[in-house]
Amino acid sequence: MAKRIVVDPVTRIEGHLRVEVEVENGVVVDAWTKGTMFRGIEKIIQGRDPRDAVYIAERICGVCMASHGWTSAMAVENAHGAILPPAARLIRNLLVGALWLHDHPLHFYHLSALDYLDVLAIAGYQGKDQNLLTVKDKIMKLVEAGDTAPLTPRYEPDDFSIRDPEIVTSALAHYLQALQIQAKAKKMSAILGGKQPHQSSIVVGGVTIYPTDQQLEQFKQLLEEVVDFVKKVYVPDVVFFATGPLLSLAQAGFGAGTGNYLAYGAFPMDDSGREKLFEGGFVSSSQPEKVQQVDLTKITEAVTSSWYQESLPAHPWEGTTEVDLDKSGAYTFVKSPRYNGLSTEVGPLARMTVARHKPFLKLVEEYAIKPGAVARHLARAQETVLVADAMFEWLKDLEHLLKRGKIHNSLRPDIHDSKHWEPPRRGRGVGLNEAPRGALGHWVEIDDHKVKNYQIVVPTTWNVSPRDDQGIPGPIEQALIGIPVDPHNPVNLVRVIRSFDPCLACAVHVISSDGDKMIRI
Amino acid sequence: MKKDQEISHEKGYERLERRGISRRDFLKLCTLSCIAFSLDLGFASKMAEAAAANLTKKPLIWMQGQGCTGCSESLFSSADPEPEQILLDLLSVRFHPTIMAAAGDQAIGSWEHCLEEGNYLLVLEGSIPTADPRFCTVEGRPFLEQFKKAASKAEAVIAVGSCACYGGIPRAGFTGAVGAQDILNGVKVVNIPSCPVKPDRLVGTLLYYLSKNQLPRLDKHGRPLAYYRWTLHDSCHRRLHYERGEFLRDWNDPKTADWCLYYKGCKGKEVFTNCSSYWWNDGVNYCGYSGSPCAGCSQPEFYEQFSPLFDNPKEVK
Repeated sequence: MAKRIVVDPVTRIEGHLRVEVEVENGVVVDAWTKGTMFRGIEKIIQGRDPRDAVYIAERICGVCMASHGWTSAMAVENAHGAILPPAARLIRNLLVGALWLHDHPLHFYHLSALDYLDVLAIAGYQGKDQNLLTVKDKIMKLVEAGDTAPLTPRYEPDDFSIRDPEIVTSALAHYLQALQIQAKAKKMSAILGGKQPHQSSIVVGGVTIYPTDQQLEQFKQLLEEVVDFVKKVYVPDVVFFATGPLLSLAQAGFGAGTGNYLAYGAFPMDDSGREKLFEGGFVSSSQPEKVQQVDLTKITEAVTSSWYQESLPAHPWEGTTEVDLDKSGAYTFVKSPRYNGLSTEVGPLARMTVARHKPFLKLVEEYAIKPGAVARHLARAQETVLVADAMFEWLKDLEHLLKRGKIHNSLRPDIHDSKHWEPPRRGRGVGLNEAPRGALGHWVEIDDHKVKNYQIVVPTTWNVSPRDDQGIPGPIEQALIGIPVDPHNPVNLVRVIRSFDPCLACAVHVISSDGDKMIRI
Repeated sequence: MKKDQEISHEKGYERLERRGISRRDFLKLCTLSCIAFSLDLGFASKMAEAAAANLTKKPLIWMQGQGCTGCSESLFSSADPEPEQILLDLLSVRFHPTIMAAAGDQAIGSWEHCLEEGNYLLVLEGSIPTADPRFCTVEGRPFLEQFKKAASKAEAVIAVGSCACYGGIPRAGFTGAVGAQDILNGVKVVNIPSCPVKPDRLVGTLLYYLSKNQLPRLDKHGRPLAYYRWTLHDSCHRRLHYERGEFLRDWNDPKTADWCLYYKGCKGKEVFTNCSSYWWNDGVNYCGYSGSPCAGCSQPEFYEQFSPLFDNPKEVK
């Protein structure tokens, strides 16, 4: 007899997620992921000045805000016919790169690590490391005061929890250190973006900031400190966990997913935009060795299980969706994007798989790690190194450009395409990018100088998608099916869910208010 | 009498130190808050003592409606106090969806337990849908009802960020999104608007409340006067250029880089906020200094009545 377990709210993610599973003989046999909050951001953008889109789209998500702002700007620039000046490209790379440097470590330590650590094992720490003793002291004082919130209550530690006092204490020390580091990485984004969260310097056509020497120096100092943490603490921690205490989970392919991976690619390395730090591509479970070129016409969105009026699966441009809260059979505000009809995962594991990133593949091969929850953490850490290294290059390139500007004003690099600032009468554009959580696409159509239609297909919509018109569950739903779960202590559910780093504020949106047919790209 | 007070103060500090926060750090924080609230600096030590005595007792519930988690992220971008101090030292965070260890029933249990005990502060992030309660549910129940329940027993309700105060961007949609004050009757709400909330304003307001056991003076929109008394325009570093009629028209032109942003849509003349004097992220920058126009995010009019954000009437108002 199957037993139904509900986890609502799923915490330590972004936004409102409810998960229901059916468990039989200690194993998940079916799963439903449910997005339970709706704002209707795309409809708010419709009818507005297209330049406002960047500001509003940024507010889709307070975690990966600059990624949305940037991608929205790409789409509107495409529609305006604006060309991004090289200095603006570099400033955007740096501003958004800093976002990745705060976001990935924060996800590991503050959103995920508590699922694998028996925090209270810290009481048994007997070592002499002064730093660790301070942490132990701090936590023990909370325990003695009888107030350990927000570290408790918690799921009971189980067979996969790490109880070694040395490891737990060191991980908690890094948890606290990472809190400081993420604030410093945000400060980096603010130096170039005005503030963070919700930077303001990315506008249609470029950026508004021409950084001073002092700002770049400050940026560089913080970058060195943050990257030092990434390389000496964050990445070694993840590799240690994945190849040590969590190796059995990693090798079992715990929380595997669908095996279909999609990435659009991100961070242009030159002005043509052809070469990118992260390559785009698609890999299917039926041909895992073959990286296919992304064909955007293969993307469709189904609404069968979503609280929107029924319609056939359509390309994002052709969405005809209206909210229908009474629809029978629907269980979420999230829609079901599919690539070539396949339930497809996006995010770090998809990016590293599609890019055939050697350091990642080497680790996976050496330790016989299968795709799954642990591999996702590993992929996230490996790609953080890629961003970290590229940041120094971008900074050097930017300094070089700005230096020329000091010789003579005529050599001063532009930061904005001012010729294409005013909205055109008509236009359409697309921005394809990677947010930390995966492939992100914005589509805009302009008519009479206003936004006629705006569409967003975000990473978590792919990952948290519900059953589609064929009844095929989404990637997280599939990743949950088959995992062992103790109905009284369902910690394994959240371990798998959090490995995807879901962002529900992003995932929930409505497209096309009036059902107008839009162009096919 | 005096001696008794000293003893109780000592106890407060002992508690504080048990939680790993030094007296010196804490005094520094209180001094900054005094400056913001225009209090005599001599009050800093009194504030520290009074707040310290209350600290271990003050549980916090942080609820998220129709938001983006940006205000939570912003709280953790605070440099002084550091996020660690806020989380573990200053408050007993009983419910915060983004950071708490518990999930599902345990998380709800923690929330319910805190409601039973009472004496907590309630923070709202994100707006509340009123067109249909199903636009935001937690644990299968309407967020609207759960928030009202939590508010009815809270010692104080603090709305952080523009969405929670006045509906913000979601108010421009069709979900009937409103702020806390619009659905609570007879409960005084402190509004700390901006998108996202500026962390020093939230922490300063908390400290003020903990030390004086009363809410700070608020303006007609429910905002602490300390942070929203003057317009952005009043202390903008571009102000002189405005007076001279010098306006930035092209971001590429080095001669006009620090001229007034009115023609790029700046709403700063009608926006009450101290952004231009107390900058963001540990004071490194703010929108205006980075060349971008004020969008007016700390005003009740935001967003809808300030759209289009990058345009203004041809005649300077």
